Formats: sequence, C-alpha cells, structure tokens
Amino acid sequence: MATATLKSAAYTAPDAAKPSARPWFFTRPAAKTGLVSWLTTVDHKKIGLLYAVTALFFFLVGGVEALMIRVQLAVPNNTFISHQLYNELFTMHATTMIFLAVMPLSAAFFNYMMPLQIGARDVAFPRLNGFAFWVFLVGAIVLNVGWFTRAGAPDVGWFGYAPLTSTAYSNQFAGDSSTDLWIMGLQILGVSSVIGSLNFIVTIINMRAPGLTMMRLPVFTWMTLFTAFLIILSFPAITIALVELMMDRSFGTGFFEVAKGGMPILWQHLFWIFGHPEVYILILPAMGIISEILPTFSRKPLFGYPIVVFSGAVIGFLGFGVWSHHMFTTGLGTMATAAFSLATMAIAVPTGVKIFNWVGTLWGGQISTRTPMMFALGFIWMFMMGGFSGVMHSAAPADAQQQDSYFVVAHFHYVLIGGSIFALLAGIHFWFPLVFGRIVSEFWGKLSFWIIFIGFNVTFFPMHFLGLNGMPRRTAVYDGNMGWNSANLTATIGAFILAIGIGIYFTVIVYTYLKGKKATGDVWDARTLEWSVPTTPPPEHNFHITPTVHARDAYWYEKTHAKEIAAEKEKHAQEEESHGGIHMPSQSWFPIITATGMLIGGLFFAHHHFLGAIAGGCVMLIGIIGWAFEGPGGYHLHIAKDGTVTGGEGQDTH
Amino acid sequence: MRFSPVRFLRRSAATSALLTLPLLLGGWLSGPQSTFDVKGPVARTQLDVFYVTVWVTLLIFVLVAAVLAYATIKFRARGPIDKNTPVPDQGHGNPFVELGLIGASIAALVVIAVPTLKAIWYTYDVPEEQRANAYEVTARGLQWWFQFEYPAEQIDGSGQLVTGNELVIPAGRPVRINLRTSDVIHAFWVPKLGGKVDMMPNRGNHLWLQADEPGYFWGQCAEYCGESHAVMRFRVIALGKEDFAAWVENQKKPARTVTPPADAPKAAFASYDMTPKKRNAPGYTAEFDANPMAAWTAFQFPEKDEEPALVAQGRALFKEKNCITCHSVRGHEGIGVNAPDLTHFGSRTTVAAGLLENSKPNLHRWIVDPNNVKPGNKMYMGVNGMAGYMEMDPATKTMTGKVHIAVNDTEARAIVEYLHSLK
Repeated sequence: MATATLKSAAYTAPDAAKPSARPWFFTRPAAKTGLVSWLTTVDHKKIGLLYAVTALFFFLVGGVEALMIRVQLAVPNNTFISHQLYNELFTMHATTMIFLAVMPLSAAFFNYMMPLQIGARDVAFPRLNGFAFWVFLVGAIVLNVGWFTRAGAPDVGWFGYAPLTSTAYSNQFAGDSSTDLWIMGLQILGVSSVIGSLNFIVTIINMRAPGLTMMRLPVFTWMTLFTAFLIILSFPAITIALVELMMDRSFGTGFFEVAKGGMPILWQHLFWIFGHPEVYILILPAMGIISEILPTFSRKPLFGYPIVVFSGAVIGFLGFGVWSHHMFTTGLGTMATAAFSLATMAIAVPTGVKIFNWVGTLWGGQISTRTPMMFALGFIWMFMMGGFSGVMHSAAPADAQQQDSYFVVAHFHYVLIGGSIFALLAGIHFWFPLVFGRIVSEFWGKLSFWIIFIGFNVTFFPMHFLGLNGMPRRTAVYDGNMGWNSANLTATIGAFILAIGIGIYFTVIVYTYLKGKKATGDVWDARTLEWSVPTTPPPEHNFHITPTVHARDAYWYEKTHAKEIAAEKEKHAQEEESHGGIHMPSQSWFPIITATGMLIGGLFFAHHHFLGAIAGGCVMLIGIIGWAFEGPGGYHLHIAKDGTVTGGEGQDTH
Repeated sequence: MRFSPVRFLRRSAATSALLTLPLLLGGWLSGPQSTFDVKGPVARTQLDVFYVTVWVTLLIFVLVAAVLAYATIKFRARGPIDKNTPVPDQGHGNPFVELGLIGASIAALVVIAVPTLKAIWYTYDVPEEQRANAYEVTARGLQWWFQFEYPAEQIDGSGQLVTGNELVIPAGRPVRINLRTSDVIHAFWVPKLGGKVDMMPNRGNHLWLQADEPGYFWGQCAEYCGESHAVMRFRVIALGKEDFAAWVENQKKPARTVTPPADAPKAAFASYDMTPKKRNAPGYTAEFDANPMAAWTAFQFPEKDEEPALVAQGRALFKEKNCITCHSVRGHEGIGVNAPDLTHFGSRTTVAAGLLENSKPNLHRWIVDPNNVKPGNKMYMGVNGMAGYMEMDPATKTMTGKVHIAVNDTEARAIVEYLHSLK
C-alpha cells in the first residue's frame, strides 16, 4: 500500500489549487448536511430523494383531488362541488398524477438506483441532474399556482383539446390565465424530463462498470434507458404543440384557432404522438422494478432475460405507432382506424410476453411473499386485467362505445394504479433498507398492501360496468335514473378504502424512517449491484472500489464467487488509488439559480407580463453564465484499507 | 348455415348471460344508456365485437391466472429462507416456451382482428345496398346543446327544418347523421343505437345508425366541452313511417298561435310549485321513465288547461325580454340563430338540452335562474358578442357582472305558458 499512497500524493500535489484564488460567487459549496447541501447537491442519491419526496407529496395531492371527485359522484345530482371546480379537479388530478407523481417517482428510482446498478459513482452530468430536479419543481409550482389565483386551476383536461384551450372559450369572468399556466407548467416539466433523460442515456451508455456489457444490464436499468429514449423522442411533439398553443393564446396566431382556419385535429395528433409513448413512460419503469423484485424473491434469475429486454424495446418502438387509437372516434376513416387498431393489438404481444416471463420466473423458484413481493404479485394480476381491457379498446368498433366512458377510466387506472403505482410502492419497500438502513414491518406492510389491493378493486372494477352502462367520463353530475347509482356509490366507498390503505402505507414508511427496525446490508439476498454498496445507506461515492461485472446478476455472482472477487477488488483498489483516488463532482448553486429564473419567467409569461418574463430570462441567463464559468470543479476521496474515507471539497482539486 | 365465430360467440354470450345476470338484475348494465341493451344494427355489431374480445381475453386470463396462481402456491418457500438455504435451479428461460407463447398470443389476436376489421367497415357508413333508403340529418354541437337540421325537409322561405336537443328519426331505416360543431369539440353518443363519433371543428364527420323499432333513446355529449359538459344531453325518438311523416308535417308548419277569446278573463295564475330548486336538483320523474314514448306522444297535443290570455302575455314578454334575438319562433317574432329554434318547443319532452323534463315547474326553474340549472350556459352568459341574462362589455367581450335580463316568477309563468303552447 505504501507505493499507492506515494503515487497518489505525487499525483495530486502539483494540482492543488488555492480555493481562495477564485471569486466568491464561483466558490463551490461544500456543505454535506443541512439545507445548503440539499439546495446545491449534485449527488444522484440526494436528488433521487428530492424527487421521491416531491413526487409522494404530489401523489397525496392528486389523491385528495381524486377523493373530492369521488365524493361528488357518490350520489346522483350531488352538489358537493361546482361543475367548474369538478373540471379543475379532474384536469389537475390527471396532470398531477402523471407529471408530478408517477413520472418523478420513476425518476427518483432512476436517479437513485440506476447509477448503483451500473456500478457508477454518479450520473454523467451531476449539475444537470440537480437542474432537472429544480426545473421539475418549478413546473410543478407553475401548474398548481392557479389554485391560489382568481382564474382557478387549469380546467381544460390534461389532454387540453383545442379549441377548448382557445381564449375564445376561456372563463369570461376572470382574465383566464389557468390555461396559460397549464401550458407553461407542462413546457417546463418537459424541459426537466428531457434533460434528465439525456443524462440517464449518457450515463448508461458511458459509465457502466468494467465487464457490464449491455446484455448484462439489470432489467431496471434497461427500462430506464428505454424510458429515457421514449421521453427524448416523444416530448418534442408536445413541446411543439404547446409552443403553437402558447402563440395562439399570447400573440394571436391561428394554429388551432378555428376562426383563423386552424386545425384542432392537429392538436390531437401532436398530443397523442406524445401522449401514447407517455403511457409507456409511466409503465416501463414499473416493469423494470417488477423484473428486479420477482427474481430476488424467487431466488432465481429472470426467466427469458433477452426476451424481456427485447419486448421492452418493441413496446417502446410500437408505442410511437399507435397514438391514433386515442382518436378512433374523431373520424379517421376506415383505413387509418384499421391500421391503428391492428398496431394496437400487436402491442399486446410484447406486453403479454413480459407477463409470461414473470410467471416463468416464479416457476421453480423459492417464493418468499415478503411485502415487496406482495405488491409485485398484485402488480401482475392487476396489470393483466388492465391489459385485457386494453385489448378490448384496440377493437375500434367496440371502442366506439367505450371511448370517453368510465370503461376507459377503469382500464387505465388498472394499468396506472394496479400497474405503475403498485410497482412503485413495491420498489419503495424493496429498496427502503438500502436507502435508509431500516426495514418496514412485515405486518404493517402487508396490511397496507391488502387494504390498497381491496380498495383499488372495489373502486375501479365497478367502473367497467358504469362505462358499459353508458356513463361518460368528465361529467360532474349524473341523474339518478340512469342505473349508475349503486356502482358509483361502491366506487366511492372503494376510494376511501384505498385512501385508508395509502394512509397506512405512508404512515408506516414515515414511522420506519424515523424509528423503524435497523437493517443493514443485503437484507433480501438480492442479485444486482446496488446491494453491493459498502454501507446502507450508501456513502456519497457509492462504492469503495469500482465493481467488475462477470455475469448478468452481478451481485449474485459476487456472492457465489466471494474469494475470486475479493482478490480482484484488492487489485482494483490499488489501481484506483494510483489514478488519484475517487473523483467526485463538486456541488453548485447554479442549477437552482437557473431554475428560479424559469419560475419567474414562466409565471410572468403565463400572465402575459412580458417585461417580467424577460426579467426571469435574465436570472436564468445569469445562472447559465455562472454555471459555464464556475469551472469543472471536482475533488478526490481516498479510501483506506479499513474503509475510512479521507479527502473532500477544497482539500484537493483537479 | 355457415359457421360464423361471431354468431357463435354471440349465441354463447346469450346463453351464458347467467354470468352477467346478477349485474343486469342489479341494474348495472340495463340503464337507459346501456351498450348491452342494443336497439339497432350498428350498436349490435359493436357489441358483437366486444363479446369476441371479452371471450378471447377471458380465456387467456383464465389460463394465465391458473398458471400464475399454481406457481405462486406450488413454489412458495417452505419455511424461512436465509443465505444458507440451498438455491433453486438458476434456469434462464426456455426459447421454445417463449416462441410458443408468442405464437399463441398472435393467434388469439387474429381471432379478434378479423371481426374487428369487418365491423370497422360496416359501422363507418350506411351499407351500399341501403344507401338509397337512408335518411339524412345534420347534428350540430354547441356549448351546451345540440341542434338538429333536416336537409330533406325544406320549408318555403325558411330553409331546412331545424329543431333542438331531440332528434326525431324514422325507425327501421338507416339514418346518416352529418356531425358538425359551431364551437368546440363535442361527441354524438346514443349508446343503444351506436357508438360515438366526435363533432370536430373544420372537419365534416358523420355516423350512421338505425333504430330497429320505434323508441325513445337517451344520448349525451361524450367529449369534454367545457363547464357544463356533464349536462349536455339529448334524446333520439324513432317513429314508425306514418308517425314520422305526421311529425315532419307538423314541424314544418309555423308556430301555433292561440287566439284568446274576446271575453278573455284576466290571466289567472297557473298552479304549479315554483319554489326555487337546489343546484343539480333532478329533473326526471318515474312516471315519465315508465313509458317515455307515451309521454312524448302526449307532448304533441295542446294542453287541456291552456290559458290563452296568459299565452298572449307570454308571447309579449318573450319579445320584451329580448329572447327573440337568439331564439327563433317561426311565424312569430323570434328570429335569432344563436340558440335553439323554439317553433315547436312545446312538443319536446325535455328542456335545457335533455336535462330536465319539459314540465312547467322545470321550464320555470330554467327561465328564472338558468345558471343554477346549467352553469356557464350561453343564455345566461351571452354568446357571440350578444349579452344574455348578464351584461357583457362589447369592447372586451368580458362580463361586467351587471344584470341585463331578469325574469321574475310572474313573468316566467307567462313565458312558460307561451312556450308550452308551441306544439
């Protein structure tokens, strides 16, 4: 070891710069705890937690919105809330759940788990990663700020079909800025998603540990990659559509204005060529999580790994060719309807393949039904049902009756709650011991699972019948003579059971975080690299020694080949130290400053105060300039043989 | 007879209706907008395709679910597992199983695809051989009501026959409906007769449907179209050949005028309850629902207790309150085109776009406080730059918050009496 220390000293000494030589505003913050550490963080794990906490907050907000909707619909001719408020609630419930809950919660897992799964120390662009989060938060604020204004929250539906979004149809009582806020909020969220995705793509392509070939990637990482590609390819469509709509509303252009010869149908094509891949953006991460949990709790590799990966790619690819199945009733004509009908059926094949492979994974395994596994099994059942009602929609003539009815509401809640949310809740339980070093109580975990499972089905199963019995979506009130009373009341009761389940789930999570049973290390006898971290929670640099990957389930291989791996690690430790130690990125104030500029600019622009918008743009520009000129930063950490870490910000710079 | 999978599945569906019987009994699938209680060939074709999808997916579900349940139980770990428990076989999969399952899924989808494709072409437009027999109407969506236009029924000097919110069609004959909108996107949906098609701005959509028998059908806008989307409803009334011809003949006539007798007594108060109703208060009755066709027929004849003096007073108020700027009453004063044509309003069973039964108290409630019945409606808010009950600033086209038209109970009684006389 003596030579290694000597080498590292020899390497770092000449570069040791004096931090005081830099102007104060270019000094990189060094706080590792406290508020500043969170505001300036570039650590993918802290950013992941920021995403998770924000997403869970908005998940609860969206849940309260859903409960208000269900209370209004509990009985016919109800007067609990007004039509206007109802319209705002269903618009914001969807927008919140999609963009502010499920997507960022997936992003939380991408951020936290993906670098660990590929044996990296951080993402490729750490400051950009922080920026993506702050921009997301800005978008969330802009979307929701309407609740506190006279114009109210957006009320055009999460799909914002033109020409209802036109100024001509906005609320005549108030200078209606709610649609402008919706446009601006989604646009800003798009920036966040695209930035985050580019970061993940570059990270996965470039920063895999030695030996981690693409066909050895954990399935969750594969799904991260596919999701990221879906985001960067689909968001430009909605970006263009939103820019055009913004032009229509702010500067009097006529892209979607009927009176000016605009084409409202164009909006639907642009929206759904984004909107359909978006569906897979919501479900692929969930499939990734499930594909990690099932093998772990079956103690057996994923059945048909290459097919699962390939089917993920096929889903992503076909996902761009089925958007018009959201538009079967818009008068596409026979040929287009037939083509999109068949393409939609085709997408059932790779989806079915995944289910077959998950069942195959269970087959012959040693299944332990711990809480994460319960959610994962629940996922398979519920997702299967959502998938089958999806096949029913793919038959366009049947869809003519189902489109915009409660049947569709039942379908996508089966895929989005029974699918995405179940998987994300499974993921939280699964990785909780890794992230917090504490484990959730089996009893309370399973109790919350069963209440959520029952509540979910009681809420959404009757909606199939409501839809088939002719109840349209997005209706604030219905008459008592339509045969919808008992199914609606059942659904509302179910919604409260579901809410109780979610309440227990979160109470238990918070309790466990504060006072739960300590659990360290590889609690589940897991298979992938994130569990090979030296401590739980993982240290900022993730791995003392960059792992080398020899097989698909890399950590399982490490555990079964302990001796040879130990020797290899010893060698790598020396090599790494001889290269100057572990290189870590420096924290920065500029991501949050730049994002603040977007907040100011976005809010002013949405209210058509263009001077204010320019002021916001200036703040943003200052942030970007500072970002560009503060220098690359970075510092080194050194790991002693006993695991003690030395070095840090300001102690040794590049 | 040649074997047809669709027919087979339909029959098996009918015989195994036992499965859905509890739900039908519970009323979960038998409402006035049920897609199961089909009354025409388009809706029936769509239901057939739906049944095919149900049976195919149900079969797959049963198979996969059985294997999944079996695997979960059979391979459950016996006793606690720790790192020292011997591991199961670390198998990575089986390409033949995979390929077999992919093949089977594709085969199952073909079973769905074939009837789907046939039905797409069938439901798109009136079949070639029936096209000559098809009756054409135009349905136009507006925030938040429907206008129905009959290009086949031209009236001298007044263009085509126009009605609102109740579409009367001939039964046993294909009806081709042109779908138009004057503002945002709406969708035309009468579940018992056929699936929906959107009314798209700058686009000429259409659908076709046919009612096998005369009947009274519930319909509703199915595309979110703004504040009062939930209460944008309509009815379809299918009539036998003679009844339809008689209806058309009556509709083409100008509005009915009631002449008050010379010794007209002073207008007496019509007796009905006019206590203000709560927002969203129901506007339907069990008596009406028991036999809506009988109710519709009754609406075609003048009311026995009609008070001619009150009708005349109502007609004057209708003009005085500026109702005529938006509403048309052909042969009387109304000339407006922004709102439903009221020439034969008294013969319609509903008011406020299919929302309330056209009873005197309901109509009274609608006229006195429309925003309470249908929030944001254009009669209250104004439309196309014309003020409604509320004043509008003509320059900015925004509401000033001041009242422009107010109708009190006494006035409303007279207007109700007038409108109900327009049979």
